Formats: sequence, structure tokens, C-alpha cells
Amino acid sequence: MIRVERRLETPRHIQLLIPFVSIAASLIFVGILLMVFGINPIEAYETMIRRAFGTKFGLTELFVKTAPIILTGLAVTIPLRAGLWNIGAEGQLYMGAFAASVVALYFSVPSLLFLVLPLMALIALFGGMLWASIPAILKAKFNLNEIISTLLLNYVAIYWVEYLVYGPMRGKEVYNFPYSDLFNDYAILPRFFGTRFHIGVIIAFFIAIIIYILLTKTSYGFAVKVVGANPKAAEYAGINRKGVIISAMLIGGAIAGFAGMMEVSGLHLRLRSAVSPGYGYTGIPVALLAKGNPLAVIVAAFLFGLLYVGGSAMQTTYGIPVAIVDVFQALVVLFIIGGDFFTKYRIVFSGLRPRGV
Amino acid sequence: MDFISSLIAASMRAGTPLLFATLGEIIAERSGVLNLGLEGVMVTGAMTGFYVSLVTGNPWLGILAGGFAGLLLATIHAFFTVSLKVDQAVTGLMLVLLGLGMTGFLGRDFVGKVATYLQPVEIPVLSDIPYIGEAFFKHDPLVYAGIFLVPLLWYIMNKTRYGMELFAVGENPEAADTMGIAVDKIRFFAVLIGGFLAGIAGAHLSLAYAKVWTDGLTAGRGWICLALVIFSGWMPQRAIAGAYLFGGLDVLSFKLQAAGLGVSYQFMRMVPYIVTILVLLLSVIRGKDKFGAPSALGKPYIREQRF
Repeated sequence: MIRVERRLETPRHIQLLIPFVSIAASLIFVGILLMVFGINPIEAYETMIRRAFGTKFGLTELFVKTAPIILTGLAVTIPLRAGLWNIGAEGQLYMGAFAASVVALYFSVPSLLFLVLPLMALIALFGGMLWASIPAILKAKFNLNEIISTLLLNYVAIYWVEYLVYGPMRGKEVYNFPYSDLFNDYAILPRFFGTRFHIGVIIAFFIAIIIYILLTKTSYGFAVKVVGANPKAAEYAGINRKGVIISAMLIGGAIAGFAGMMEVSGLHLRLRSAVSPGYGYTGIPVALLAKGNPLAVIVAAFLFGLLYVGGSAMQTTYGIPVAIVDVFQALVVLFIIGGDFFTKYRIVFSGLRPRGV
Repeated sequence: MDFISSLIAASMRAGTPLLFATLGEIIAERSGVLNLGLEGVMVTGAMTGFYVSLVTGNPWLGILAGGFAGLLLATIHAFFTVSLKVDQAVTGLMLVLLGLGMTGFLGRDFVGKVATYLQPVEIPVLSDIPYIGEAFFKHDPLVYAGIFLVPLLWYIMNKTRYGMELFAVGENPEAADTMGIAVDKIRFFAVLIGGFLAGIAGAHLSLAYAKVWTDGLTAGRGWICLALVIFSGWMPQRAIAGAYLFGGLDVLSFKLQAAGLGVSYQFMRMVPYIVTILVLLLSVIRGKDKFGAPSALGKPYIREQRF
């Protein structure tokens, strides 16, 4: 008879093995999908790796694509530590992009142009925060399910930006494209090495470190952890549970908003529809892989950044839709959480009589 | 009057996918399993159904295939959450990514193609009644099937042994287990039913309502259905009202757009999402979510073990 039994302790080698086995299994699964479409998976993966690591352009692109994922990963991680799901990083990113673009396009005091970039950053943080405050307050005040509300607000934010670039903020010289005018130089993040590698990438790393310190070394971080682990205990300990819920969501939203500014000011150089290819959603598997650790978010974000770089390489080379990246993301997480089962339980093959009964 | 009867007709057609998916999710949630992956399950059903109808020319095979595609995805959910006791929210969210990703990848070749879609059936005599016939009796068969499903599920959930067991495992799995009810089996099965119905919902979307396949065709309807489950207080008879209401909202935004009211397209598209949040808020404030929600919803059941 086969049955499942709880492990008393988890062997370390199993814990270490799981992420690697999961990634390998996902690669195999996606490889099979590619084969169905007549694509040699080994060649396709080679193209991916070569694109990301083979050239200066590819390597800097890897950083450029990883940076917003670090931020959305953090935007999910922080509320998750307080026990909340922020599925709305995508919408918060769009609102940040919108807010920053307003400053970039309409702020025109000639003597104060050096203030534009800092102002854009500040207002992008605020835009993302404001958007996250809606589900946060509804959750704290009415216990409204934040998963559904954050997600639905994504659609609203995306349509809002679409409205702007088709309507009031559409550029004069963009023909029929849903674009605003290009930003002026003073509203564009400085770039390095003659590539698209912009200063926002470095800032993203710093934000991850700051959040790491905030969550692990301060009393606020401790409060977040207690609320996430045991809301009742938090109240007995005198922690303002609602305050923590709201603030964790707001910090997450602000960071996602900054990612939005980074995309428009560092990459697109204008507001446009499709600001992000779904970085907000990618933040979810990133946060899950990182298990709440902001530094681990950086590592996980690189994995998915590689996927996006590789995904666009595969699109140009083989015509495979970037959607394959989503499949890979979902599979990795499913394999990992499935694998977690084996850290907590073991399967016992025994006689008819279960042990201990 | 013409406007109203065609609005009613269109609302019922648009509401039918919502109804199927909501009813399916009610069953799954009644057993205690939350399937947040509804969006992914629906979109998979939509693409599979469209593909099968495109290839075979038979929309009914498409609908059936859509149902089974949904069932397949739900099997993953059931295996992870019921058998492996994994977190239901995480698995569900990954199901969304998986469904949207897979369909975006596999469905790229038949974007813009025309598949044989479900034809409306005019009910004799009744469909000849002026206005009323137009509104209620000229639908495709799945619209009628959806209406029929409501009392059927109500009966199953409230009057049969299976319904009682479903209720028991969703409210108090420990007690149910003690009484000899196979908690995991009931839950697994309930998730599968939910997936099958959500798959059919998706297939109806692509084969009867939208009549096309586009990437991400469901456009958030799965999430709206999750809200509708709460709105309906986990009762099938209330789900139909919510589903048709939201179907109507969807249609109305298009009709007002077509009427040229000067409101931009994007604002119209926002309306269903905003209204969903408001409706959810209303349900929560009125405390419906507390009275109706199965007590063990979202919690994996792990039998206590002695070592």
C-alpha cells in the first residue's frame, strides 16, 4: 500500500535540489512544446543563452530586462510577507509610468529642468502607491479580497494609459501609433556603454538592498513578518495590523510605480500602450521563488530576465510568441511547489497496515 | 422595445459563459477548494474549443473539447491542492499564467480564422411572440443549457447525498472525515466539475459569443466570475442573476459605444472591472461573504497523524 507520511525533518540535499530539478524539468517540458512546433529545443536554448551572454548588447539587455522584474518582484514580496497577495503590480507599474510621463511632457520651467528626473521618480512612486492604496484600504477596512481587487485594477490602469495615448496625450508626430511624443533629454535616464543600460538598473539593485534592510533589520520589518505569520499574535503584541497591511501594500505599489517610470524614461522614452510585457505578473513567480527574501528576488529576477531576453531572441529567430515565457514561469513554480511536497512528506510503501495505526 | 429585447438577448448570450464558469467555481469552492486559475482554465477551453471546431467543422465537438481541456487544467489544480496539499492561491495563479501562456503560444496560428460556430435555435411558437421571442427564445442551445443547469445544481447541492457531502467537506472536513466521507475524493471531483464547466464557458465564448479566437480572449472574465461567486453567496440560483447582469454590462458598453455617445472606447472597457469591485464591496459590506462562504475554503485538509 502506498501512503503519504509527514517527514520529521527535511534532508538538506532535497531542499537544495528542488529549484534545479524544477528548472530542468520546465526546460524539458517547454522543449517538448517546441518540438511539437518543429523547433529543435537544444538549438533554441542555445540561441537564448548566446543572445544573453554572447554580446555586449545581449548582456546589457539582460540587465535592462531584469531591473523592472526585480522591482515588481519586490512589489509582490513585501505585501506577501505581510500575508497579502499583490497581483496588481502590473497596474501599479502603468500608473507610475503615467504619472512620470505627465511630468516629463508638461513640466517646462526652463530654469528648473534639472528637477524633472527626480520629480518624475517621486511622482511615479506616488502614482503606484495611490493605485495600490485602493485595494489596501478596501482590504484593511472591509476585508475585501485583495487578489481579485488588485487584479481587476490592472485592467483599469492599462485601459487608462491606452486612453491617454490614443487621446489627450497622443503625440503630434506619431502617425497612428498609440504613443505620446518623445521625452526631452532632461526627462530621459542617463545611459551607459552606448547601449540601453540606464541608471535605473543600478537604482533597482539599490532598492532591493534597501528593502532587504527594511524587512530584516528594522522593527517595521519585524511587524510585517509577525502580521504575515500570525495576525492574531500581532494584535496581542500590540502591532497595528491594519497599518501594516496598508503600508506593506503601499510600499509595494510605490516600487512598482518606479518600475513604470524606469520603463518610460529609460527604455521607451515616451508613454505608450503596452508599457510592460507583463513584468507585474512575472513578479509573482519571482517572489515565490525568492521565498520572501529581497536579495533572493534579485537572483530570481535574473532567471526571468534571461527568459525575456531569450524569449525575444526566440521570437525573432523562430517566430515563437513571447507567451512561451509565461508557460515557463508557471511550470517552474508548479514544479517547485510540487517539489516542496517532498520536503514535508515522504511516500511510504508499506504493508496493508499503515505504520503507527 | 427593439433595443430592449435585443439587449436582453445579447445579455443572456454574453452572460452564459460567466454563468457556466461561476456555477463550476461554486461547486469547487463549496467543497473547500478555491480555484483562482479560472481565467486560465476558461481561456484554455476557449482556444481548444475553437481549434477543434475549426478542424472538425463541428462546434459541438469544440464545446466538448473545451470542457475536457478545462478538466485537464483543473486536474493539475486538484492534484496539487487536494493530493499534494499545496497552497491553493499559488497553484491557481500559476494556472492563469499557464493557461494564458499556452494558449498564446499554441493559438497563434488561428487568430483571425473563422470556425464553425454554434447556431441559434428558435423555439417553435414561443420565438414568434413579438419582442419576447426575440429576447428569450432565439438562443444557441448552451444558453438554454445554462438556465437548465441552475435548478439542476440547486437540486444536487441541496437535496442529494452528494450535495450534503460536498457541503460537509467544505464546512468541516475533520467532521466529514470522521463520518467516513472521503474528503479528498469529493474535493478532487468537485474541482474537476468546476474545470469542466469553466472549459465549456470558454468554448461558448469563442464559439458562440465572440465567434473568434484572439490572444487572451477571456479578458478578465475568469476574475469577474470569482467575484460573482462571492456576490451569489455560493448559491446557484443567485449566480444566474449576477452572470446575466454582467453579461448585460458587457453588451451595454458596446451598444452605447456604437450609439456614439462620445465616451471613449477605453472608458467603456473599464466599466465591468470597476463594477465588479463595487459589487464585491457591496457583498462584503453586507456580510454576504461571511454567511455564504464555506468555512474551510482555501484550507488544505491534512488528516492528523500519529507517529
